[in-house]
Amino acid sequence: MSDAPLKTPFPQRAHAALGDAHLQEALTIATTKFIGLRKESFAGFPAGEALRDRARAIKEATLQKLDAHLERLADNVERLGGHVHWAATGDEARDIILRLCRDKGVRMAVKSKSMATEEIELNEALEAAGVKPVETDLGEYIIQLAHEKPSHIIAPAIHKTKGQVADLFSKELGGRFEADPEVLTAVARKELRQKFLEADMGITGANFAVAETGTIVLVTNEGNGRMVTSLPRIHVAVMGMEKVIPTMTDLMVFLSILARSATGQKLSSYTTLVRGPRQPGEVEGPEELHLILMDNGRTRQIAGTLREALYCLRCGACLNVCPVYRQIGGHAYGYTYPGPIGILLTAMLKGTHAVKDLAHASSLCGACKDVCPVRIDIPRMLVELREHVDRERIAPLGERMVFGLARRAMASPGLFRLGARLGRLAQRPFVRNGRLTSLPLFFGQWTRTRDLPPVAARTFSERWKDLDRP
Amino acid sequence: MITCLGDLLFPEVGVAMVKLLRRLGVTLDFPEGQTCCGMPLFNSGYHHDAALVAARTVRLFERSEHVIVPSGSCAWMVKTEYPGLLEDDPALRAPAEALARKTYELSQFLVDVLGVTTVDSPFKGRVTYHDSCHLLRGLGESQNPRKLLRAVKGCELVELPGSDECCGFGGSFSVRLPEVSTAVLDKKLGNVESTGADCLVACDAGCLMQMGGGLSRRGSRVRALHLAQVLEPEAGA
Amino acid sequence: MTTRADFLGGIRREMAKTRGLFEARTAARPSDAGEAFEVVKRQMAERWPQALTRFQEEFERIAGVFHRVRRLDGVPGVIRRIADEREARRILSWHPGALGLDLRESLGRQGLSVTLAPDDDPDAEARRLHRDEAARAEIGVTGVDWALAETGTLVLVSGRGRPRSTSLLPATHVAVFDRGRLLESLEQVGAMLEALHADPSRSMSGAVINFITGPSRTADIELTLTRGVHGPKEVHAIFVEAP
Repeated sequence: MSDAPLKTPFPQRAHAALGDAHLQEALTIATTKFIGLRKESFAGFPAGEALRDRARAIKEATLQKLDAHLERLADNVERLGGHVHWAATGDEARDIILRLCRDKGVRMAVKSKSMATEEIELNEALEAAGVKPVETDLGEYIIQLAHEKPSHIIAPAIHKTKGQVADLFSKELGGRFEADPEVLTAVARKELRQKFLEADMGITGANFAVAETGTIVLVTNEGNGRMVTSLPRIHVAVMGMEKVIPTMTDLMVFLSILARSATGQKLSSYTTLVRGPRQPGEVEGPEELHLILMDNGRTRQIAGTLREALYCLRCGACLNVCPVYRQIGGHAYGYTYPGPIGILLTAMLKGTHAVKDLAHASSLCGACKDVCPVRIDIPRMLVELREHVDRERIAPLGERMVFGLARRAMASPGLFRLGARLGRLAQRPFVRNGRLTSLPLFFGQWTRTRDLPPVAARTFSERWKDLDRP
Repeated sequence: MITCLGDLLFPEVGVAMVKLLRRLGVTLDFPEGQTCCGMPLFNSGYHHDAALVAARTVRLFERSEHVIVPSGSCAWMVKTEYPGLLEDDPALRAPAEALARKTYELSQFLVDVLGVTTVDSPFKGRVTYHDSCHLLRGLGESQNPRKLLRAVKGCELVELPGSDECCGFGGSFSVRLPEVSTAVLDKKLGNVESTGADCLVACDAGCLMQMGGGLSRRGSRVRALHLAQVLEPEAGA
Repeated sequence: MTTRADFLGGIRREMAKTRGLFEARTAARPSDAGEAFEVVKRQMAERWPQALTRFQEEFERIAGVFHRVRRLDGVPGVIRRIADEREARRILSWHPGALGLDLRESLGRQGLSVTLAPDDDPDAEARRLHRDEAARAEIGVTGVDWALAETGTLVLVSGRGRPRSTSLLPATHVAVFDRGRLLESLEQVGAMLEALHADPSRSMSGAVINFITGPSRTADIELTLTRGVHGPKEVHAIFVEAP
């Protein structure tokens, strides 16, 4: 996924997804489960609503003093013996890591799940430089073996059925494994255990970084996040700069709602607070810690339309409830981040042009905003993106003409009435049993799968005079 | 406010609403020259154009005491988006806010303004109710329509699984991405049919057009009706 | 290469263009971290019994196995039983200075192989040895810094004599704690963390604080829950009644 426009247009990618029976089955299972887990968790958590408001406020307040918090974070990390790098672009972040690998003789790096590293396509760059990246999160491990990209922000392999995973393992690892998640998980545990112990470098993202104390926070379930930050001699954390939060007290607010929103757990199995490289007397831990603070398009949104999208905790809740995501899955979106927030993040990282179709991949139902732990108003920003697409004249001419016509009819009752009369005339050859079942041109997009009521013989406005009698 | 879809495609819903409200003692008028609330323009990003339409609508209803709308999405548009669209217009800013305050979706008007929770209706049948997105999430309304339906003696209300899930309409979404829209619709209709209801009720013309269109295409015996048609079934087509 | 000044300069330029979306505040912190710490300690000195009940509930809810002994000397017996049930022989333990208990004395004599974490300054060889032991151990025994009742979470600070991998590499993790460790809410944990970081004398001995909430798990395959992915498959908590 480079900056070249994607080869297949979005509607075609969506079409392929809709026709993929395995994908449809996997999506239904996964999203339905996630929705239930989240619902149950918040149902038993009356304090949750107020905490979401507080979390949102903390994110906004942090942005209002972002420079000070980042400065404090960096000072603290350096004071503890860590190194801080400033990457304006994804390319730079990649280069920093490659340089570290070169300078430190890194041959193999184990990775804990990090969307930030997906965003900068790190694995491909490492491989090209002769460094072997090993994904250790089970979902990421699966897609690495399959040479695919993640299809969900927190469950990367959710598009695969267990049968597909078993086949994949059997093929790539040699052997015959049953389609049983327990069996397959045990296979991954065994394969990866040795890698943790042998790797030169551990690469993670960061869910949060506490400015006040210089702490990098990782929220995980499998234990690979802990392995990766304790066993190899170098730890590199790649972090979008908007992940900084001021204090430990703030951190507790986020921890109270993050896992609930993502998986319905009160807390994930492991929340790991990393403060610098290993301390004297510790028998384990990295000799070096490198924190890469990355911009990659985020700064531009501080005063931009997508500022609110900087609050995102990357929990994935919006994906699970999105009627579009639930039907087409993550890959059809075509970029690193899928789903409702993914459209906004793609615009942030790649520009408005990249989302000229995706901005419309939404029925604006608002379910995403409902479940977002920090109440990001995604629908509003999607509409604003649509406005940008219109303003920058990215929308096709045909569409702009149709809307121009619609606007005129809405502004003029005379034109509106004329439209109704013309519609009644034009539809005559198409009315079957009181319905329109097959219309030509653009209207065929509707009637291919749905009937349409015809324009009424008498509109309500025309009937009013009969009604307007006591 | 009749709404564009209501005027052109579902006049019987408007008629039912009028008869119902009159039966309940409400005096109605109908400002002439209504077209559309402008939401299709707004949602597709044509905000400047939407503001022009909003301005027109605000003027049209300037002298109305309450504005009743048989559609959750249009009521939402007027109540939540009109003030923002017209906030830079010194002449229309206050009237837009006033219109926002005095506009009601039908079920909200019946219960919250008229204080009516029981409407006598000869309607008989098993119904299931779909929560339209803008009424549910935009206006926070899920109880009133159910209350009204339950209070109709001959009406048996069965909960719709996934009632709060989108029907797939989304305005232009339904024709920009018709395949995805239809896939979402199929899921919705599967749920509807699982309830065994003879009637699907909703408070939004867009949803009714989408769901009714799907039901009709699959030859389903389930009828898609507006709440007003359950409360005033003999309004005549 | 972007410098700190470049990076922050860019941010400041953008920040200057806007006042933000709405008036917002970050979380209210205790004005005196040390005092807030004392307040929590006092609260918990009274409320620990309720906290313990809640802790057990939540811990068991996430598949933790809860044990209770009257005195510290009852702990080895529990560990012995756990080892026998699993036919496990190799035990890795925090250093007695950190754990408050020397398992090599009690269990070492009963035919179990007990490795203690070093508490001196390890060299490369010592690190390698410890790592090999940790990789082979079947049971890891640790203490607990805080036991959070609200979520059934064990909070462990790493450091000298208390390695990170003891609660991570072996398939079974056993954590020993007493009433002085109990906390009720995440909010209290926040207060404790503020104090821990505010006062260098209340120091953290190591670079990592781990919140452990149940065994290692994943649901990456069809959202089916499986335990023991990379970390332990089982977590046991032994509560020692004697203060």
